[in-house]
Amino acid sequence: MLAIEAEGLRKVFTGRGGGPKGRRRTRSVEAVRGISFSVEAGERLAYIGPNGAGKSTSIKILTGILHPTSGTATVLGLTPWKQRRDLARRIGVLFGQRSQLWFELTPRQSFDLLGRIYGLDRSATRLRVDELGGLLDSRDLFDAPLRNLSLGQRMRCELAASVLHRPEVLFLDEPTIGMDLVAKQRFREMVVRLNAEQGTTVFLTSHDVSDIEQVARRVIVINGGTLIYDDRVSRMRRSVLSTKLLDVRFEQPPAPGSLDFDGMQVIKETGLGYKLVVDTERRSIREVLDTLLDTQRVADISVLDPPLEDVIARIYERRPS
Amino acid sequence: MREPRPSRTLLATSRTALVEAWANRRSFWVQVGAMLLNDSVWVIFWVLFFHRIGRIHGWGTDDVLLMFAILATVTGISMGLLANARRLGWLVAEGQLDAVLTLPVDPLAYLLIRKVDTALLGDLAFGPLLFVFAAHPTPERALLYLTGSLCGSAVFVSFVVMLGSLTMVVGGRGEQGDLGFQALLILASYPLDVFGGLTKLVMFSVIPAAFITGVPVHLVDRFSPATLGALLGAAAVSVVLARMAFRAGLRRYRSGALWTRA
Amino acid sequence: MSGLTPYAAAFASAAGRVVRRPGELAVRLLFYVVILIVFTALWPAAAATAGGSIAGYSAQALLWYVTVAEASVIATKPRLIEDIGNDIGSGAVATEMLRPVSVFGLRLAAETGEALVRLAMALAMGCAFMLLVKGAPPRPAAMLFVIPSAVLAVAANLAAQHTFAGAAFWLNDAKAAWFLYLKFVFLLGGMLMPLQLFPVWLERVSWALPFWTMAYAPARFASGHVDLWLLAGQAAWMVVLASVAGAVFAAGERRLEVAGG
Repeated sequence: MLAIEAEGLRKVFTGRGGGPKGRRRTRSVEAVRGISFSVEAGERLAYIGPNGAGKSTSIKILTGILHPTSGTATVLGLTPWKQRRDLARRIGVLFGQRSQLWFELTPRQSFDLLGRIYGLDRSATRLRVDELGGLLDSRDLFDAPLRNLSLGQRMRCELAASVLHRPEVLFLDEPTIGMDLVAKQRFREMVVRLNAEQGTTVFLTSHDVSDIEQVARRVIVINGGTLIYDDRVSRMRRSVLSTKLLDVRFEQPPAPGSLDFDGMQVIKETGLGYKLVVDTERRSIREVLDTLLDTQRVADISVLDPPLEDVIARIYERRPS
Repeated sequence: MREPRPSRTLLATSRTALVEAWANRRSFWVQVGAMLLNDSVWVIFWVLFFHRIGRIHGWGTDDVLLMFAILATVTGISMGLLANARRLGWLVAEGQLDAVLTLPVDPLAYLLIRKVDTALLGDLAFGPLLFVFAAHPTPERALLYLTGSLCGSAVFVSFVVMLGSLTMVVGGRGEQGDLGFQALLILASYPLDVFGGLTKLVMFSVIPAAFITGVPVHLVDRFSPATLGALLGAAAVSVVLARMAFRAGLRRYRSGALWTRA
Repeated sequence: MSGLTPYAAAFASAAGRVVRRPGELAVRLLFYVVILIVFTALWPAAAATAGGSIAGYSAQALLWYVTVAEASVIATKPRLIEDIGNDIGSGAVATEMLRPVSVFGLRLAAETGEALVRLAMALAMGCAFMLLVKGAPPRPAAMLFVIPSAVLAVAANLAAQHTFAGAAFWLNDAKAAWFLYLKFVFLLGGMLMPLQLFPVWLERVSWALPFWTMAYAPARFASGHVDLWLLAGQAAWMVVLASVAGAVFAAGERRLEVAGG
């Protein structure tokens, strides 16, 4: 079953200004230029792109905030911008820098009200809050005033608020902005758990590459308003970059020049530890490993995929397909 | 899940906002106390003024204290209970409208009710107190005072909502709202009849300050069905215009005015 | 003289900042104009009722009085205490303490720079408005004294504000004190009406406090009364207020050092 379906989405912003002061002429910006994709129920999708790529615009269209200029989209069978309130009952939305919770109150007090807004009765809300407290490891957070919590803790509470009503789809727009590394990781874990244990479809926009690695199984890359990549994360690395990294520790220093061969390059050298880059189009990993193990005294070796940043950067460089 | 009744949701939201204002106890009393003192200073000013000068254009100490009681009540409601009203433009500029649009609620009502300004609750307390102590309260006058204050609040809130809706159309950070609201408040803080023809005209139309204090005072002191009709009419018209303005602004916002592209 | 350079620089750069933000200034000035519109309605009516003049002030004198009084107060930022409180809380002040200049001195210099630009604009606008709408001040020559007096008024106001703001080193909620402070300036400082209109006991209280230096003094000149000793009084109070504020800041900084911001 398809949770989200978008066909030829286009969004043109028109208006005055945006230029240097005094030059108030009408301009138009095409933020989204004909994007089509579909998302199955229960999927975890990362929707990534650089700033200004059209990510926020896309998510605003899918959540019913904006009307597209042309094209169609359905979320859970509903047209978001036409059936906004009906859809609002079945989706959860978390914007990175906007809060649904009341600052001076405890999250639990905010949940009480939000539960009512979603039509849950008191006991149902209470049960659900309890459940979420366990699921998101946040029970101890719910009874402290929101202002006393750190950003990471606050966002976990916002996450709970956004799924209070058991939405079928959860939209997250740059949710980890401003969080420290540990907080980000915890948050991502929670999102994955929600998907795994409750079957919530996850649609996450981000420009943080680690969000992809840790949360998503599928990634859509957009740039300049067009979709330029759509595949499983696991395949992305392999298909886009034909390089591999070798992390090698030698038992004794390799003889000078002995690591010079075609298709391989030393990029880092720390004592006996070497980082090597292999261009697998020129020389297969098998060959390189064989050669190394035959000609050198190797203490330890690991074969790594290239960092995701490089992969993404390479994808951005692509012409839209 | 059944669709909850909007009125009950709004009531619950309002209660939550009030609970929030009450949550930080120390801050609450400090802010309310400061506002009460602030209002007292204004009362002292007016008492001194009229003590020295006597009546002006038919206004004396009694009238101006009634005026101030109404003003405090109106600001208590319009800026205290509906704290987001005058910040509407700013909220939109900050993107807070998006978060509201993803909830199954009426965006304007929810935004307005969602936040209470603690300090202004001081006004909400001061107004009725001043009325009781200085404005010769009788059941009839009290009823008229309440009616007048509610209508005045409707006009006030509608005015600032209209200005705030401008932000959805032309962009900016809500400065239009700020200036308009300040002008409204200043003009409404002085006895209506000292103003000359042109200013009075403005106060009955573009900047409806007359309906905030002037006409309500008239209603209480010199009741006539015509005055009541005019006030109720002004309130009703303002509310309708405000709703229309917001809806138009929202339509523009959702169709994608250039500046909204974050 | 090099010891003064950082302060002069802060002054100039702050002044430049205000000039480069005409939008903000315009909003403040428009607000001021609305107040003037109210005054041009209120005070002539008041004077007329009292038989032409009150406590030696003619209607014209009263109008010019409130114009200058309001301009002097409006030149200072309405949110100063909040800003300082935030800066203390955020640690910005702690960072400033690392510099080899006086935190208080630098801030005062900057605030004065901003305020004087606003003052100049407000006075220009207010005087132009009043001239056009109601005519010349009762003694045009006296207006010369308005300039130094208004500058001293603003400086004293800022110094006192910084004292109040200094409370933010100890309290969390200096905002309430701030509210009260403003009301003192409005009422006891003679911004709302000349001190001579008060009952005697209140007038005496006002004279004993420094607030009259912040609004009454320049306004008094504008109303045509050249009480030169006011300038001396303003200067004296300014020194006192600046010293108190400096002391409060110094104590506050010591507290930050000890408590660790």
